[in-house]
Amino acid sequence: MSTSTTARAVVDGPVGVEFRSKHRVPIVVAISLGFLAIVMFFVVAAPFLVPNATEQDILSSLLPPGTPGHPLGTDELGRDILALTIAGATSALVGPCIVAVGSMLIGVLLGTVAGYERGWVDFLVSRWTDLLLALPVLLAAIVVAGVFGGGYWTTTLLLIVLFSPSDIRIVRAGVLEQSARPYIEAAQMLSLSRWRVMFRHILPNVSTLVITNAMLNVAFAIVAFSSLSFLGVGVPAGTADWGRQLTDARSIMFDNPAAAIVPALLIIAVACAVNLVGDWLGQRLTRTGGVA
Amino acid sequence: MTAVSIHARGLTVLAPDGRTMVQPLDLDLVGGETVALIGESGSGKTLTAKSLIGLLPPGFRAQGEVRYGEQAFELSMPDAAWRPLRGRTVSLLLQDPFTSLSPVHRCGEQIAWTIEAATGRRLRGAARTSAIAARLAEVRLPERVARAYPHELSGGMRQRVAIAAALASDPVLLIADEPTTALDASNQAEILDLLHGIQTARGMAVLLISHDLGLVRGRTDRVLVMRSGEIVERGDTATVLAAPEHAYTRALIEVDPAMRALAADDGSTADGSADDGSTPALAAGTDRPTAVLEASGIVKRFGERTVLDDVSIALRPGEVTGVVGESGSGKSTLARCIAGLEREDGGEIRFEGVVLAPGRGSRTPAQMQIVFQDPYSSLNPMMSIGAILREALHVARRPAADVAVLLETVGLPADFAGKRPAQLSGGQRQRVAIARALAPRPSVLICDESVSALDVSVQAQVLALLAQLRDELGLAILFISHDLAVVREIADTVTVLWDGRVVEQGECARVLTAPEHEYTRLLIAAGRRENPRAAASDLASKGTR
Repeated sequence: MSTSTTARAVVDGPVGVEFRSKHRVPIVVAISLGFLAIVMFFVVAAPFLVPNATEQDILSSLLPPGTPGHPLGTDELGRDILALTIAGATSALVGPCIVAVGSMLIGVLLGTVAGYERGWVDFLVSRWTDLLLALPVLLAAIVVAGVFGGGYWTTTLLLIVLFSPSDIRIVRAGVLEQSARPYIEAAQMLSLSRWRVMFRHILPNVSTLVITNAMLNVAFAIVAFSSLSFLGVGVPAGTADWGRQLTDARSIMFDNPAAAIVPALLIIAVACAVNLVGDWLGQRLTRTGGVA
Repeated sequence: MTAVSIHARGLTVLAPDGRTMVQPLDLDLVGGETVALIGESGSGKTLTAKSLIGLLPPGFRAQGEVRYGEQAFELSMPDAAWRPLRGRTVSLLLQDPFTSLSPVHRCGEQIAWTIEAATGRRLRGAARTSAIAARLAEVRLPERVARAYPHELSGGMRQRVAIAAALASDPVLLIADEPTTALDASNQAEILDLLHGIQTARGMAVLLISHDLGLVRGRTDRVLVMRSGEIVERGDTATVLAAPEHAYTRALIEVDPAMRALAADDGSTADGSADDGSTPALAAGTDRPTAVLEASGIVKRFGERTVLDDVSIALRPGEVTGVVGESGSGKSTLARCIAGLEREDGGEIRFEGVVLAPGRGSRTPAQMQIVFQDPYSSLNPMMSIGAILREALHVARRPAADVAVLLETVGLPADFAGKRPAQLSGGQRQRVAIARALAPRPSVLICDESVSALDVSVQAQVLALLAQLRDELGLAILFISHDLAVVREIADTVTVLWDGRVVEQGECARVLTAPEHEYTRLLIAAGRRENPRAAASDLASKGTR
């Protein structure tokens, strides 16, 4: 009796049992996603819904919440708090998203090259990230705003640079770990170009880390933007922005508390929702084999 | 310590989709006894064991009940209810000592944690040091290991640390899930003997999960054979292995190279002569083809350590050249130097007479390809099988349609192109890795422990595939293995490496039946799971080389 036929008979059992159960979205994540969808809707629709949000009307200043026509009241310049808050959603989310994507792109490029090529490239990139990580974000932003003048896009650019070290480090660590795996050596045995190995083979396997980190960066950036606006180095005065609203509302806390509480709660809620969604996404991707 | 017995009744494991992965079964273990649970991957043996400690993968459910001595537990109880049992009543020893130990903590600390967790008391100062030293002494490790990190230790030493940690809490049952699969033959035997000694001294029960019948033989009291979630045979180990009743058990024994080698040596079966017949007659040296790849005087150092010292080897088309030795003998480094994945410090590698410079840059994909040991990490998890093979074909300027041809060559159906590595079994993945290696039509195929991580029956299939490729494509195969039984199956010539040097080289049948060097004899003994370490120290003390 030949061995090979026996062997085949032996293995004709069930093979490759999948340990993947159906993923139900946890309720907290579902709420977060729903909330973010609503906020995103206002980001897109704000110019049409509240085109005159920043228009001042001294005659109706400091109306308390619940006034007919002004459900959240008005501030001392007579701006409707609800309209201002809706209009502020744009600057609260667009900048942070650009920061997250921008620093992710820098992180992917520099992190992958540094982690795969090692040597002097790695040395330069790593020292550069060390340097940036040593800078306190807010302080650096204030200094830059003082030197170059503030503004939303200056802040965005600056935060991209200041947020990139965490992306670079995370990508580099992931690439280092993947580079030692046999499938990378198998790719090298096929004499594939280094760019192909880096971006076709390694990068998809660190994408979970990259995406999760980008989501967390969005949350951090929301807070950073709001802090800078609050400190007066972000958006110029008169712009609809949640952080700016906090500054402006300081003096009218007792006349119209909603002017401070509503944007503050929204900053916290959006940052938390993005965080929760990011965490969930990270876990989900890991479980479905994004990163081994 | 009094012996505690463990009884499981109606143990059943259900998959998330409701399928029954393990059919209802009863399991009895008496303190001081070792019971082996054998079967192939996917047979449900690991699920069975994990259900005894409440560690099933997410979504899997267990039914039935288990008694640890006087206490009875529902197998379906929630995670929190299992926690007090884990690491105290029951300990788990895993296959890979590298991943089961924390890489960033010293070994002593990790042992101390389990002692502390079991006793609920913090250990400090001298008491802590002496408690750790006592546990290390039990697994025959010197005290200095307490200060070492896992990566500073060899595989065998790491597994001993893992045993010390697993046993630190004095469990009544130790579940050992393929505890020695990642180790070489002499370490395997030694670890199991060590476990056996500790077990007898403590009156602990051991459930040994294995696919290796050679290891089970003589080291366990009873054996359960599992197939597709069902116990097909159970009984006394010696009886079951000598006179298996179930066809599946017979098949398992038949495909195990170590068992077959044993049978061949005994001359008790007709298979022995058939094995020899498959090896082409190499005696007529003049008829042999000229070498396609020649490595001569290879030297490789890692820092102060010389890993390869003047190693020469020749690969001929249509021949399998085996390289054997224990872990640390330098055999993988030799393969990697030849493949250009490692740069040799001295010597010359010639391909068809042309000298290849060290490193990848001087080699083309069509010259040589490599198949690695671990089928789980040698395929990119994010790419489909089709994409992996198309890329390899593209390198060789072959049409993408050849994917089906490649899959057929390695005995896989064409619809595998749409699958992802995670959907494949170990053997199937290794076939894909071979298919990828064949895509550039290489002259030389390097197999670095390519079948070591596979079940015995899958191993037999992959070996048969390699032999077929050698004969049909005229491949020159460099076959690296620590398992002499496997090399005996496939190799035409064999080179024995010891401590980075060639101690014996020649025709496979001759070297393995009439070894000239004492170390080769030792390896053969280790392959039969006799006591090699004692012999190894004999050899070392005599200073023979």
